[in-house]
Amino acid sequence: MTLRAVTLLPEPTCLSPDTSLLDALRRMLDKGVNHLPVCDGGVWAGLVDINDILYELLPVSARVDHGLKDLRFVGDGIPLLASHFKELANKPVREVVHHDLPTLDEDTPLLEAALLLHRHVAPLPVLDADGKFKGMLSRRTLLKHLIRTTGY
Amino acid sequence: MTPAAAVSEAIFGLPPLLVSLTIFVLTYAVIVTERINRSVVALLGAGLMIFAGVLNQAEAFHGIDLNTISLLTGMMVIVAITQKSGVFQYVAVKAAKVVKADPWGLLVMLSVVTALFSALLDNVTTVLLIAPVTLLITDALRISPYPYLFSVIFASNIGGTSTLIGDPPNIMIGSAAGLTFNDFLFNLAPVIAVVMALTLVPIYFIWGRKLHASAEDRALVMAFNERESITDARLLKQALFVIVLVIAGFILAHSIGQEPGTIAMFGAALLLLLRVYDKQAEDQSHAIHSTFGEVEWITIFFFIGLFVVVAGIEKAGALDFMAHKIVEWTGGDFTVTAYAILWVSAVLSSVVDNIPFVATMIPVIQSMSSTFTPQQIETLWWSLSLGACLGGNGTLVGASANLVVAGLAERAGQPIRFLPFMLMAFPLMLGSIVVSSVYLWLRYL
Repeated sequence: MTLRAVTLLPEPTCLSPDTSLLDALRRMLDKGVNHLPVCDGGVWAGLVDINDILYELLPVSARVDHGLKDLRFVGDGIPLLASHFKELANKPVREVVHHDLPTLDEDTPLLEAALLLHRHVAPLPVLDADGKFKGMLSRRTLLKHLIRTTGY
Repeated sequence: MTPAAAVSEAIFGLPPLLVSLTIFVLTYAVIVTERINRSVVALLGAGLMIFAGVLNQAEAFHGIDLNTISLLTGMMVIVAITQKSGVFQYVAVKAAKVVKADPWGLLVMLSVVTALFSALLDNVTTVLLIAPVTLLITDALRISPYPYLFSVIFASNIGGTSTLIGDPPNIMIGSAAGLTFNDFLFNLAPVIAVVMALTLVPIYFIWGRKLHASAEDRALVMAFNERESITDARLLKQALFVIVLVIAGFILAHSIGQEPGTIAMFGAALLLLLRVYDKQAEDQSHAIHSTFGEVEWITIFFFIGLFVVVAGIEKAGALDFMAHKIVEWTGGDFTVTAYAILWVSAVLSSVVDNIPFVATMIPVIQSMSSTFTPQQIETLWWSLSLGACLGGNGTLVGASANLVVAGLAERAGQPIRFLPFMLMAFPLMLGSIVVSSVYLWLRYL
C-alpha cells in the first residue's frame, strides 16, 4: 500500500518564503500546529518549525556553541524578548526554513513513510508527479491510517 | 663509541644538522598551513626525529618539559571544574552593574575583568567565559558587540602576559629559565597595567565616545541578578579554596623549593578529591572521566611533539648556531639584542602560533649565556615574553583566543573579519610593543 490511499492533512496552505516569522508563528498558533510548509509558486520550498521561531527569540549569547548555559540571572527578560519579537516581524521564513527534509510522493510505500517520519520528527511534504506540492503527511495522519488498515 | 656518535651514523651518512633542520622546517611549515591538526603534525615530526636517528627515545623524552606539561594540565583541570560554578559569569555581570551599564564604563570593566582572569587562567578559557556574557549585555543594551569583543581579545592577550600561568609562552619560559611566579609578576605586571590602560585610549576615540544606550535598556541590565549565576555554591567554595591554595603555592613555590607543575597537579588532584570523595565508585569514575575529558589534549600533545622536535635541532647544534648568528648580527650589543628579540617576536607571533616560536627561542637564548650576564639573559626572557604574548594581538590568527572570539562572533551573526581587525589591531599591537620598549629601556637597559 502506498501513500495514495492516505488522506493528507486538511488545508495544505503553504507559506510564501517572504512571509515574516511573526506571521508564520501567528498562523501556527491559530491552527494549533508546530510546522508549516513553505512553497515558492506551488513548488515545495521547505518547512518552518516552531522550535526555530522559539530559537530566534533567545539571545544570541545563549544560542551559540559554548554560549551561556543558563539565563536565570537575566530575570524574566520581557524587554529583551519584546525586542526580539520585533526582529521576528522583519525576518522572512526563507532564512530559517529546513530544505534538507526528504520528500514523499504518492508511490511511497507506507512502511518507508513511517521510517522517514520517525527519523525526521516532523511532518513531511507529499509531491505529485510534476513535483508540485500536494500536502503534508504528519505522524498522526499516518498512524491514524495504519491503525485502521491493520485492524486494531 | 658514545651513543651520540652511534646515532649520527644511523642517518644514512647524512649530517644530523641537515636532517634535523629538514624535519623541523617541514613540521613548522605544515603547522602554519593549518591543513592538518597541529598536535598530529608535531607528534609526527617528533617521531621522525627519533626514527631518523637525530635523537634516541631517552633523549627525546628528556626534551619534554614535564613541568610545563603538568602546569598546563593541572590548571586545565582546575579551570574545567571551576567554570561550572558560574563564578566568572557572576563577576562579569557584577562588573557591568558597578558601572550602571554605561556603555563605555562597561567596555572598560569587561576589559579589566578579562585581563585579570587571563592573568590567572588561560586566555582561551577566559574569552569563552567572557564573550557570551558580553554578547548578552550588548544585546540587552542594543549596541554593537564589535568594540567589546575587540577589547576582550586585546585584554585577554595583554592580561595573559602578566603572570607565569597567564599564557603558555610564559609557562615555557618560566620553566626553562627557572623564573618564578613572583619574577613574572614583578617584572611584567607593571608594564602590562600601563599597556592595558594605554590600549583603551585609542579604543575610546574610535568607538568609546560614540557608544550610547537608552535608559530603559540600561535598566534591563541593572535588573540582572548576578547571584542567580552561581549554579553550585558548594562547588564554588571548593574551587575558590583550591585556587587560593594553588596561587599561594605559586607565590611561595620558590622559597619552599617546589616547582609550579607539582603545585598545579596537586591542586587539581585536591579539587577532584573534594568533588568526588562522597560519591560511589562508579559515580567517581564518571565524574573524573568527564573532567579529564575537558582537558585541552590537543594543546598538551602539541607541546609534547614540539619539545621533541626542538630537542632534535638543539642536539644537532642548529640553535647554538642561530644564537651565535643573532649575537653576530647585533654585534654582541645587549640593547640591540633585547630589542631585536622583542620586535621580531611580536611581528612573528602576530602571524604564527607563538608556542612553537617560543619553544625554539628558549634554547637559542639559553645558548647566549656565553655572551651575556645572567642578569642580561633575564631581561632577554622578558623581551621574549612581551613580544611573543603581546604580538598575538596583531592579527586574527595571532592567538587562539582571537580565533575563539571570532568563531563565537561569527555564529552570533556579528562576524569579525580578518582585514578590518588587522587594520585596527596591528597598529595597536605595535603601540604595546613601543610601550614595552620604553619599559625595557627605563628598567633594564
